[in-house]
Amino acid sequence: MDNIDINGESFFDQEQELFFAPEIRAGFPSPAEEYQNGGLDFNRDLIQHPESTFYGRVKGDSMIDAGISDGDIAVIDKSREPKNGSVVVAYINNEFTIKYLDTTHKSEGYIELKPANEKYPVIRINGNDDFEVWGVVVYVIKSFKV
Amino acid sequence: MSCERVFRPDLRNQPVVVLSNNDGCVVARSNEAKAMGVKMGMPYYKMREQYGDRVVAFSGNHELYGDMTDRVMSIVKRQSPHFIRYSIDEAFLILNNKSADELKSWGEALHQEIRRSTGMPVSIGIAANKTLAKMASHFAKHYAGYKHCCVVDSDERRIKALKQFPIGEVWGIGRKLTARLASMDITMAYDLACRSKEWMQSTFALPTLRTWKELNGEDAVPTEKPTEKKSICVSRSFDGMISDLDILRTYVANYATRCAAKLRRQNTFATIVGVFIDTNRFRNDLPQYSNYFEKKLLTPTNSTILITQSAEECLEKMWQKGFQFKRAGVVVSSTEQGAGIQTNLIDFSASNYERMKQLDKVMDKINRIEGCETIVLGSQQFPHSPNQSKSQKFNDVLKHEHRSPCYTTQWNEIIELK
Repeated sequence: MDNIDINGESFFDQEQELFFAPEIRAGFPSPAEEYQNGGLDFNRDLIQHPESTFYGRVKGDSMIDAGISDGDIAVIDKSREPKNGSVVVAYINNEFTIKYLDTTHKSEGYIELKPANEKYPVIRINGNDDFEVWGVVVYVIKSFKV
Repeated sequence: MSCERVFRPDLRNQPVVVLSNNDGCVVARSNEAKAMGVKMGMPYYKMREQYGDRVVAFSGNHELYGDMTDRVMSIVKRQSPHFIRYSIDEAFLILNNKSADELKSWGEALHQEIRRSTGMPVSIGIAANKTLAKMASHFAKHYAGYKHCCVVDSDERRIKALKQFPIGEVWGIGRKLTARLASMDITMAYDLACRSKEWMQSTFALPTLRTWKELNGEDAVPTEKPTEKKSICVSRSFDGMISDLDILRTYVANYATRCAAKLRRQNTFATIVGVFIDTNRFRNDLPQYSNYFEKKLLTPTNSTILITQSAEECLEKMWQKGFQFKRAGVVVSSTEQGAGIQTNLIDFSASNYERMKQLDKVMDKINRIEGCETIVLGSQQFPHSPNQSKSQKFNDVLKHEHRSPCYTTQWNEIIELK
């Protein structure tokens, strides 16, 4: 047992105190206590529907002008109704793609998936295409190299 | 199947099967695969011979299936205070809170909500009791006209359904009983329902009597919550056969690790660790040997290291030279909730306990973020094969060539968006 060693002992030393945090409170309760809601929690505050929330990793720069770049993580809510102008994840030609949804021409029989990069073509979809809007992108998580 | 299709919409109307551990045989089939004639339990190589590439095969991805069915269940659970999850993909709801005429539209709406939120199709059966509800869900699944929800709410509908429903498909009627009933000219659910109560009482035990009552519309099968899991078993058949103790020990270490991780997820603790080994009983030409050995732990634990050590001890006590083993497994039992843990025993060392706890926490965290088996115990690693320089991990030794990504549980396997 004694030969287990992750980075010397430092890791345990750092976190040890959390484990022995005192649970026992006595005497007059703190007046701040009733205002305590716990800290800000992305899971609680940003993910409205955990059952319908999925994640996808962006590949390529077709949405670069929308601030969505290669390697970002898209937070996708499958239960949201896609609107005109929503950033959506669509499944077409056997792959997932992230684009703006444009339903302006729906009455004329087609909708469009628009990239946010002039180097990429607009994808026009008519009724015959094997296509579905898989989910609506609600957030994008971006990591800055630090 | 449905879980795989959520992330592979291209497979929606294609024949798809899921394979058992080690890619041995077919354990689940899509309707399209069924229609082609692919049989349940069919060995994988045989299916390939017969159907070539026309059937898409997946190694069972239980991580994905578990997460997707949990999502479905949490939506279902919101519908009624009386919710009983019956298996990984089945649940009962008691709908006292709904009036009779809104049931059908409620069920259809629930299916739609689940479909929209998770991409998963469900079948909903609504009836006076669980046996009839399960029967109704079969109809909902197999006839598109029901729009995924079948309500059996009158005697007329009930009788019509019973007449079309094979007795062997009825909830609680197993294969043996089906054969026995067939010898009594009972082949459809209706045939059983028509028998007299006296005859039923003199011929069958309580469970079958209850089924009979339910087929006749009474609510007879008690609603009980499944008890907290009392034991966890991780076992696999090997790809080939193994006689070497070191390799066997490595398998056992991996099974033990999985047991420990599962205990920690449930926040339960093992008091007994057991190991079993079996030779291949289909090989009459080889010497046969099976054994089971267990070790009681004074202090209940869910530490990977302690459980793995105990499992290895068990294995070493019963392993014998000269046998070729086909299967091994680790069972941990008598688990109890963490709160009741006794800490004043001889083998208990508080500092060691905390260190183990920290180590498991760190390992779980790394494996969750970086992918499972990013960090493993030394004893979990297999000796390297001639063409590989590094030691092999369990996941690479176990055959699951057709496993889909863990789209919802591993950051490095989420879908790619082009």
